[in-house]
Amino acid sequence: MLKYIAKRILYIVFVFFMMSIIIFALYSAVPGDPAMMKVAPLKDTMTDEQFEIIYQNTRKTLGLDDPLPVRYVKWMKTVVTLDFGVSSIYNRPVLDALMTPMQSTIFINIFSVILALVITIPLGIYCAVKKFSKFDTAVQVFTIVGYSVPVFIIALVAIFFFAVKLGWFPVSGMNTPNFQGNAFEFFVDRMYYLALPLFVMTLSSLGGMTRYVRAAMIDALRMDYIRTARAKGLKERVVIYSHAWRNALLPVITLILGWFLSIFSGSIVIESVFALNGMGRVYLSALNNMDYNLAMGIQMFYIVVTLIGNLLIDLSYGIVDPRIRITK
Amino acid sequence: MSKDKKKSKGFSSTLFGRLFGKKQDIDSILQEEQMQSPMRTVIKNFLSNKLAMTGVIVFLCIFLFVLIAPMKYKLDLSFQESTQTNIAPGFDMMKLPAELKKNVAKISIGPSYGVGIDKNGTFYIWGKTQITPNINLRNLPKELYGKKVIDVAAGYDHVLALTSDNEIIAWGNGRLKQLDVDPDATRNGKIVQMIAGYQVSAVVTDKGNCYTWGNSAVTDVRVKQKQQGKIAKVAFTADAMIGLSKEGEALYLGSQKNMYSEIPEELESGVVDIAASGQSCAALKEDGKVVIWGSATKGEKDVPETASKIVSLQGGRFHYTALTEDGKLLAWGQNNYGQTDIPANATKEPIANVYTGYYQNYVVSESGKVATFGLKGYLLGTDELGRDLFNRLINGGKMTMTIGAIAVVISTVLGIIIGGISGFFGGKVDMVLQRITEMVSSLPFLPFAMILSSIVGGRMTETQRILMIMVVLGVLSWTGLARLVRAQVLSEREQEFVTAARAMGVKQMSIVFKHIIPNVVSVIIVQATLSFATSMLTESSLSFLGFGVALPRPTWGNMLTGCFNSVVIQNYWWRWVFPSIILGICVICINLIGDGLRDAIDPKSNER
Repeated sequence: MLKYIAKRILYIVFVFFMMSIIIFALYSAVPGDPAMMKVAPLKDTMTDEQFEIIYQNTRKTLGLDDPLPVRYVKWMKTVVTLDFGVSSIYNRPVLDALMTPMQSTIFINIFSVILALVITIPLGIYCAVKKFSKFDTAVQVFTIVGYSVPVFIIALVAIFFFAVKLGWFPVSGMNTPNFQGNAFEFFVDRMYYLALPLFVMTLSSLGGMTRYVRAAMIDALRMDYIRTARAKGLKERVVIYSHAWRNALLPVITLILGWFLSIFSGSIVIESVFALNGMGRVYLSALNNMDYNLAMGIQMFYIVVTLIGNLLIDLSYGIVDPRIRITK
Repeated sequence: MSKDKKKSKGFSSTLFGRLFGKKQDIDSILQEEQMQSPMRTVIKNFLSNKLAMTGVIVFLCIFLFVLIAPMKYKLDLSFQESTQTNIAPGFDMMKLPAELKKNVAKISIGPSYGVGIDKNGTFYIWGKTQITPNINLRNLPKELYGKKVIDVAAGYDHVLALTSDNEIIAWGNGRLKQLDVDPDATRNGKIVQMIAGYQVSAVVTDKGNCYTWGNSAVTDVRVKQKQQGKIAKVAFTADAMIGLSKEGEALYLGSQKNMYSEIPEELESGVVDIAASGQSCAALKEDGKVVIWGSATKGEKDVPETASKIVSLQGGRFHYTALTEDGKLLAWGQNNYGQTDIPANATKEPIANVYTGYYQNYVVSESGKVATFGLKGYLLGTDELGRDLFNRLINGGKMTMTIGAIAVVISTVLGIIIGGISGFFGGKVDMVLQRITEMVSSLPFLPFAMILSSIVGGRMTETQRILMIMVVLGVLSWTGLARLVRAQVLSEREQEFVTAARAMGVKQMSIVFKHIIPNVVSVIIVQATLSFATSMLTESSLSFLGFGVALPRPTWGNMLTGCFNSVVIQNYWWRWVFPSIILGICVICINLIGDGLRDAIDPKSNER
């Protein structure tokens, strides 16, 4: 197992460096001249020749004229130390500016993942056990709609009914402006504002998840050992939850983690729609305002999250399914 | 089943048998199974799947529609029309109330509605009267009830009514003083003309005075002191006022120097009628000659040749109508809504009156019948720039589908090649290709596409940008198919036919692509169908966020971009409901087709 983990981690590191090359290629394609940006304010205070000298010096210190591999190594050094430069819209170091949005994004995502799991797993199992029943058919139709309709349309419909028509929830935002109160009241207020986005996020992920759980469960229920278990006279509940579900869990874990990753980037839409102060929205405004330092930092965050997620998928496979860690 | 066949040998089946060759009777189920090739089983399975077939039919309808309809409904990217913004769906803009149809006294036309009075002095209003989320012109002011109305005027967002006791009642949007009626208007003499334009209004009295009120910041209205007492008639363009003096001179009733104020010299005398369109003015000379000045870019100057003399003029938004002395009706100018296509029933009877305004025309015959032509309304309403939503929906659909289809083609080709090579050759090639696949699949899709579009797309032309989106979608989404193809190829390559092909010395590449791939084509089709849906969704999300196809070119995604505020969601529901519905239905159908195909191909999944 240790060898397996080590191998995977090594592989992840390799992939990270490959990815960083892609990102670096993007980074060097960013329009604009950083040296000129730095010295432009000095232009009026000196003659053209002096300015040219200073400009060339800045280019040299920034290393803009170095060959690409050298620039890549330099850039990599800053990335590894988590130094992404200064964000131009926040006027702060990128990492610093990202702290709060990152927290809220992680909070929203984990919360909605848990919410969705609590609903989809029992629902999927139930549908698999009672397949072709009326309830199952209804759920099937619903789930097709669920995974076909893009999240912003679900959000529109939800806003229309719950925020505009019924007025139960606020249309957008994360907190009442200028909210005063203790930590608990603040949390309640926050949850009131997040209820609708969380609802939409959960709803949009129900479709695919339920179908997947159901399919995995049906596959598991068709196995010979289920027949054996039933023949032994085990209770149906034991057969389903203990024998079938444990085996259906394997594909489901991949799905959950994979989906957990996609939700990070998927929450860009939700955050922009509901004006939540999360990574996605910051990313959007960074791109719209051409704050590429910030955008690169977030892009790196997404990639790291994906890679760690992939590692977790592999490791969880190893834990859940002994066959995998033996063969590899 | 076989029993049924033997029993029913009616005429039609005999005919069918004679025409297309006789089908052999099937004796047992076993034989039937043997006769069917796998492909036929698949097709049969698929055709019997009602849900999937519904999906096919609906999708094909939408697909053909967005493919064919744009040929008729061409997209004009630069089009915008400030008088037609946020109009609700429906074709009732010129639907006169039945009671009014019998005895029309006057009709006045607003951008999306009409007002009129009958000979008894009863007031009517029809059309799209909701001009802002809070103001509906149908909510008549209390003062109007029980009064006899002798004149009406419809403006851009306000309505004026003159009652028989010489009082002007104004209602509608009063934010820019449209409703602050000049008190002098009703004091000095009898009102001979009352007119409402773009947030401004004017009345002309029998003493030749003109009184104006409203938003003079947009419309240049300032009647000079020396002009007062001479005015016989006035007309509004979108941002100016012209007048006709009692002596027959065309006047500019404003203080600025602009294209309207340069009145042609020949109009210093002998003018009998004036009219104004949105950006041009027209004057009719005694001899029936029509002179147009101002900005006439939409064909307003193309006065049709006519044998008889023109006696009166009317101006619409970008078109004119005119009556000749022998009762013929002429119309010229912009014709995007059919506002210059005079229908046959309008000219059948002698014409008493023509009312033209914005894009609508009402022709009242001497016997009191009313014929209308021009803009009836919009099937799906209009958006914030006055663009027809239906037009944008079909053109956007074409764009969305094209991008989705090409992206799928790219990703499918890549997936087949990489998956096929990876699965067939195995070993180190497989190892490298697998790692690349993993790497691409772990690139966070949406953020990556966004940053790519932001950094690279900024320097591109529109076409290049659209191409780039197709390529990005395709290049980032082949991994799923590659894995699937690889797995299929891995199992297929151990089959005998591959060994046979090898033994015959077939080249390796042609074994992969000519012998193995055709055997896994069913899986590829299913995957391609499903990824078409995904591509459309991703394109929509990208465009929605503003990193896909850029406005003003529509796609189903970016049509929803401007809809996320409670005002639009609540009041202008048509702007988000229709694009959402069609995008939703389309993707649902594609997914149904994909699921149906998978069920048809893989009998095992049928049991699910």
